[in-house]
Amino acid sequence: MSEATTPVLSVEGLRKYFPIRRGVLRRVVGHVKAVDDVSFAIARGETLSLVGESGCGKTTTSRCILRAVQPSAGAIRFLAAEGRQVDVAGLPRAELRPVRRQMQMIFQDPYSSLNPRMTISDIIGEPLLVNGMGDLESRRNRVAELLDVVQLPRAYMNRFPHAFSGGQRQRIGIARALALNPALIVADEPVSALDVSVQAQIINLMLELQQRLGLSYLFVAHDLSVVKHVSHRVAVMYVGRIVEVADTRTIFAKPRHPYTEALLSAVPVPDPRKRASRIVLEGEVADPSNVPAGCAFHPRCPYATDPCRSERPELRDAGGGNLVACHRADELALRGVAA
Amino acid sequence: MAEPILSVRGLETFFHADEGTVRAVDGASFDLHPGQTLGIVGESGCGKSVTARSILRIVERPGRVEGGEVLLRRTDGGVVDVVKLPADGREIREIRGGDVGYVFQEPMSSLSAYHTIGNQLVEAVRLHSSANKDEARARAIELLRMVGIPRPEQRVDSYSFELSGGLRQRVMIALALAAEPRVLIADEPTTALDVTTQAQILDLIRRIQRERDLAVILITHDMGVIAEMADTVAVMYLGKVVETGPVDAIFHAPRHPYTQSLLRSIPSVLAEPLSRLATISGSIPHPFARPPGCPFHPRCDRHIRGTCEAGTPPVVQLAPGHEARCFLYADQAGGAP
Repeated sequence: MSEATTPVLSVEGLRKYFPIRRGVLRRVVGHVKAVDDVSFAIARGETLSLVGESGCGKTTTSRCILRAVQPSAGAIRFLAAEGRQVDVAGLPRAELRPVRRQMQMIFQDPYSSLNPRMTISDIIGEPLLVNGMGDLESRRNRVAELLDVVQLPRAYMNRFPHAFSGGQRQRIGIARALALNPALIVADEPVSALDVSVQAQIINLMLELQQRLGLSYLFVAHDLSVVKHVSHRVAVMYVGRIVEVADTRTIFAKPRHPYTEALLSAVPVPDPRKRASRIVLEGEVADPSNVPAGCAFHPRCPYATDPCRSERPELRDAGGGNLVACHRADELALRGVAA
Repeated sequence: MAEPILSVRGLETFFHADEGTVRAVDGASFDLHPGQTLGIVGESGCGKSVTARSILRIVERPGRVEGGEVLLRRTDGGVVDVVKLPADGREIREIRGGDVGYVFQEPMSSLSAYHTIGNQLVEAVRLHSSANKDEARARAIELLRMVGIPRPEQRVDSYSFELSGGLRQRVMIALALAAEPRVLIADEPTTALDVTTQAQILDLIRRIQRERDLAVILITHDMGVIAEMADTVAVMYLGKVVETGPVDAIFHAPRHPYTQSLLRSIPSVLAEPLSRLATISGSIPHPFARPPGCPFHPRCDRHIRGTCEAGTPPVVQLAPGHEARCFLYADQAGGAP
């Protein structure tokens, strides 16, 4: 494959099992299957959103990719700057650092992710300093450039984080993530802690930066309205597994998995004339340490039949490069959100 | 329309700190009718939660209700001004939980971890009735069943930390309804929950409201939840109610520039993928640096220079039940019906 078509990130068969230990001897009595056989790819300049409810494994997946947690199995192939693919999952610590420069993270909480004792200039310049890049002067110039990029006045350089609002702090976090010219940015709920009027500014900034710098985003979020605005493709996770992947337009208009349908139907639409009859799911998300047999969603699925209770559906082609893991995907006519 | 059960007039709640006074609620007015849901919506610092807490007189120090009226029609038909009651007196304690139930945002920190949920429910039931222990326990189980908790006979003896977020919020609602209040205040009841759980809780609130003709004040930052639940809406910005009106008018014919910009800037599942959002310039000012005049004027795209920063904008009635606090409509102030 040529460099142009090789995905920036390609995840294959990713698993992360957390052991459950009990008793005096701390014997392993089971596993929480937080991520269980997850595969996807992200092209250059593309945004893939991972969505799902709390505990579905979306954050653990993103942390595995950055090797913030060590995956239990699977490959995480990252297209490094020199055009060579490296498997982040198997890389020794020493070789991890040059790769990590090229994949950066934007955090959810702009209040706890900036060190209150460091100036803005030090915060944004830290990745450069840590990686031994440039001298003091060139680093300051780079910080000034980055402030321009995130549309903050250069004069803010010597201020401390407490002087900034949530939206401004999130801009600072983005500037820091951009300092080393990464190819991939993992953004875990980057706007969920922000006020609505500020959320829009940050979403627009992320869209602009992607166009200008050709960034790829892995966007982890629970808010499907935000996801609709930022994503090229969407992957829906349920109890550690991807149940559906499709391009944004298709997945919102014509979901193929009953869980996707239920998620979409639960989103409140900001129009009182569109108070729709909702599919209200019964019960709660399955326990990832004790996943139901067959399809993990079957106890809550209004369409479940016998095979759903015994055989686990694998992800299969749903046309147009989209994938779905549902036995009944072909016969069901599911409801999306109408424009 | 019938008499409101709760009528808030010119409510003022201020926080006095060393750095200055924060006018957290600065002249809020609205009415609440039985069987209706009033949605109070706004961003952080707009005073929506403090408004709710002022109604029950549970504002934390250094906050104080400084002015205005909160007129509550009680079960016996008499009307009391909650603001005039002593904050720790017998009558206000009867009202809290008795006439007005309250559901907080964070069910984990509002439920005791040291008592079973049954004991907390029994306490709430007995506080406002003459039920004995056994009757109260039976009532607790009945309440848990009403809010849709599976196997209530067993769950009544569990602790809050043994329950999921959704079940905890159901317990909170059961607690708030223990004394059969006629007003329910729900402060961001679904913000900490996943969407599917949120849908369950909103459905539950709607069902209980129908069954009991409950008047509900729903406080949220989420315009989607407002569109789904509210009959009337009050939009707040920096302590001021900037617009009130029927839900359809607020979403389809908003008049205050803040309401208009807020609605334009919310992401929607109906939007075009990868489309830019309209934004409101700047950010919400620090509470100690509140702009003079109309608090929204520095961010307003229809700012009238020399007017908006100079004085307090008038409340103008634009249609029956639809009011905006804005200079743009000042010339209609006299002519309104």
